Amino acid sequence: MKTPKINHKGIRGLGKFQILGEYFFSQIKGRPIYDSEERRLGHLRDLAIRWEGEIPKVTGIKYVKGVQAHIPISHIKEIKPDRIVLKVKFADCEFIPLQPNEIYMGKWLMDKQIIDLKGSKVVRVNDIKLFWIATAEKKYLVPAAVDIGLRGLARRLGLEFLFKRRENILVWWQFIQHLEEKTASLTLRGERSQLDQLHPADLADLIEDLDYKTRTEFIGDLDVETAAEAFAEMELDTQVEILEHLDSRQASDILEEMPPDEAADLLGELPEEKSDELLNLMEPEEAQEVRELMDYEEGTAGALMTTEYIALPPDLTVNEAISRLRQLAAEAETIYYLYILDDHHRLSGVVSLRELLITEPVARLQDIMVTRVIQVHAHDEVEEVADLLNKYSLLAIPVISDDDEKMLGIITVDDVLEILIPDRSSFETFSNFFTSKRALR
Amino acid sequence: MQILKSPALRRLFLFLAIMGPGIITSNVDNDAGGITTYSVAGATLGYKCLWIFLPIIVALVVIQEMCTRMGAVTGKGLADLIRERFGVKITFYAMLGLLLGNMGNIMSEFAGVAASMELFGVSKYISLPLAAFLVWWLVLRWSYKVVERVFLAACLVYFCYIFSGYLAHPLWGEVAKELVVPNFSFNSTYVVIMVGIIGTTIAPWMQFYIQSAVVEKGITVKDYIYTKYDVIVGSIMVNLIAVFIVICCAATLHVKGIRIETAKEAALGLAPLAGAGASILFAIGLLNASLFSASILPLSTAYFLCEAFGIEAGIDKSWREAPAFYWLYTILIIVGAGLILVPKISLIAVMFWSQVINGVMLPFVLIFMLKLVNNKDLMGEHVNGPVFNIISWVTVAVLISLTVLMVVTSFLPA
Repeated sequence: MKTPKINHKGIRGLGKFQILGEYFFSQIKGRPIYDSEERRLGHLRDLAIRWEGEIPKVTGIKYVKGVQAHIPISHIKEIKPDRIVLKVKFADCEFIPLQPNEIYMGKWLMDKQIIDLKGSKVVRVNDIKLFWIATAEKKYLVPAAVDIGLRGLARRLGLEFLFKRRENILVWWQFIQHLEEKTASLTLRGERSQLDQLHPADLADLIEDLDYKTRTEFIGDLDVETAAEAFAEMELDTQVEILEHLDSRQASDILEEMPPDEAADLLGELPEEKSDELLNLMEPEEAQEVRELMDYEEGTAGALMTTEYIALPPDLTVNEAISRLRQLAAEAETIYYLYILDDHHRLSGVVSLRELLITEPVARLQDIMVTRVIQVHAHDEVEEVADLLNKYSLLAIPVISDDDEKMLGIITVDDVLEILIPDRSSFETFSNFFTSKRALR
Repeated sequence: MQILKSPALRRLFLFLAIMGPGIITSNVDNDAGGITTYSVAGATLGYKCLWIFLPIIVALVVIQEMCTRMGAVTGKGLADLIRERFGVKITFYAMLGLLLGNMGNIMSEFAGVAASMELFGVSKYISLPLAAFLVWWLVLRWSYKVVERVFLAACLVYFCYIFSGYLAHPLWGEVAKELVVPNFSFNSTYVVIMVGIIGTTIAPWMQFYIQSAVVEKGITVKDYIYTKYDVIVGSIMVNLIAVFIVICCAATLHVKGIRIETAKEAALGLAPLAGAGASILFAIGLLNASLFSASILPLSTAYFLCEAFGIEAGIDKSWREAPAFYWLYTILIIVGAGLILVPKISLIAVMFWSQVINGVMLPFVLIFMLKLVNNKDLMGEHVNGPVFNIISWVTVAVLISLTVLMVVTSFLPA
């Protein structure tokens, strides 16, 4: 027999082992079970599995309908193609009930949705692959992978022969993430940190794929920063749709973490009542910033700008500036430009990061800054902003108040791109009849 | 936004934003097959069959309300819930049945297009390729939001039939009486036609369609009440139009003793009796209904099938991302329109089998639906109440027995 490829951390974690067999759940389901005296006890109806750290194990076999007592896996002598044989007599069987940290594989996993962390998409479980392995001390039946392919589907329907030439599409156990909690004591979802490792854009796709109930739970499980990052990757329409269905507390937490300009755009799309409610739930300071941004008319520089930029006083030395930058960098939209403001919050010059790094540490910012700064006013049109960014090859441009010349914020080049590049969904891709994505998957 | 301060107006606006799934689903139901059935019923039985439409309204509301509620509460489509609850095999057979049944429906829609265009003197060899392309292109080109609005506007064209009915000068007194006074007859023609009316009004695919439409619209429990109105308005509207089709044919063809077998014959027969205006309105109504359903059926069929088995689907995906979905959609249209152009194919036989398949499927779909909607894990506090449960089980039981009757009678020699 060809040695199967095992790509499973958990199994490898068991140390030295021998593979006695590999099965799909759909293949062993329904197999008759015989005791050591050839007496038929019933057949395999479902498998109880337990998560222990990273290695899930099958603990027992449900063998009669309606009875929650299982044949422990340690009783199994061998798994034959036509039957499962026990080591003991029926009378000596020690049946064990379902434990609170166990679930049924057939009932709770088959046909349900899970997240494939590698492909970062929501998929449905068509079948489950199990390994029957033996270490020096014990035998284990270990669920190793989830089959999400067409061939798995065909196998369930008894039509696998039509797809013999297709590879099984397996997702190994460590790369799946469950979506639903079954009991409070059982965290099927595994480590959340795995989700935090995903690129926010992938996470955004996943969130869009979920139905609205699962989505709320799912976002609730992410930390707020991760959720906000993923949120920022979505199209405005999707953001609005999702936000409307989130619990208000959750929604306002996410809005707080988002760049104020994006939060303002988003809130502008919501009904007034809802956006007021959310603003009231946000930290007063953040809410104030967002409110101000919302006052600008759409299509103007003011509406597009963000207030999170680096502002420094002119008399700082380069060295001081760098250490200040360290503290400020996390919050700012871009750190490539440092804007030098006077006491009246007016823009007196700009220093680029490159400039800062190549200048000697003792020089003062006012001596190295460029004083002729390309800037726009809050009421200027977006096209004008784009022209200037393009003409002077800037990454960001400061926005100045119309009346008192104070600096209000900056517009980065990607903010402008978003506006200028037409919405793909309405042009290139034929837009959605059913917005699809979530419906029946 | 000052006007929105008035609560009544605000509610109206919310309703306008949410309406769609119920009204559209109901109107797709008045498709080519439906119009044919109503015309034949009116011409053959006269006003005597009018009373059936009030019970049908109740049945439609009961069934569709449950589906929309499930969609709003779970956020999942019906095929989805069936698969999670009853396993992949049952889903597979349900989908296979849906595919075959809908294939027949799609053909009858294109036949309706051909028939109505022939009334305007356009050959089916011109009208069908054009209609097929139009349907294919329109739905792929525009967003669902746009398409939904176009569909809602198209629903207004159905009012053609009301004018048409009015132009036929029916005896309004008799109409009013027959609408509320039930009458039974064990005459075999009577039974077959009555069962046919019910069969054409409540079809299995509707349950899948309306639930997905609710999910896709992002309607949740909170806004669900408006969807309920949507369903009620839709159910009343669809039956109102059906009533007028019956009236129109009853007042003219039935009175003169003219027997018809198709909607085209009905339109032709109307001209000398009720004037060219009534006939033209009748034809426009038929064209609109056929095109309308021909747009929705292939797409929703392709969509359910792919989604139920986790194959990429949806018009927001490109052809390369979701090839199975696009091919299925395209093939359904090409086959649906193409077979009508083949001279030797008997449309009657196709319709017969699609009706049988739909009839066999309906009981299963309805029972799954009731089991799902009463599942506490799934629906929480939104399961059916005891009274509603009795109403819905009775409705389902009646529908199932009628459907069985229809399937059985359709096999009996005429």
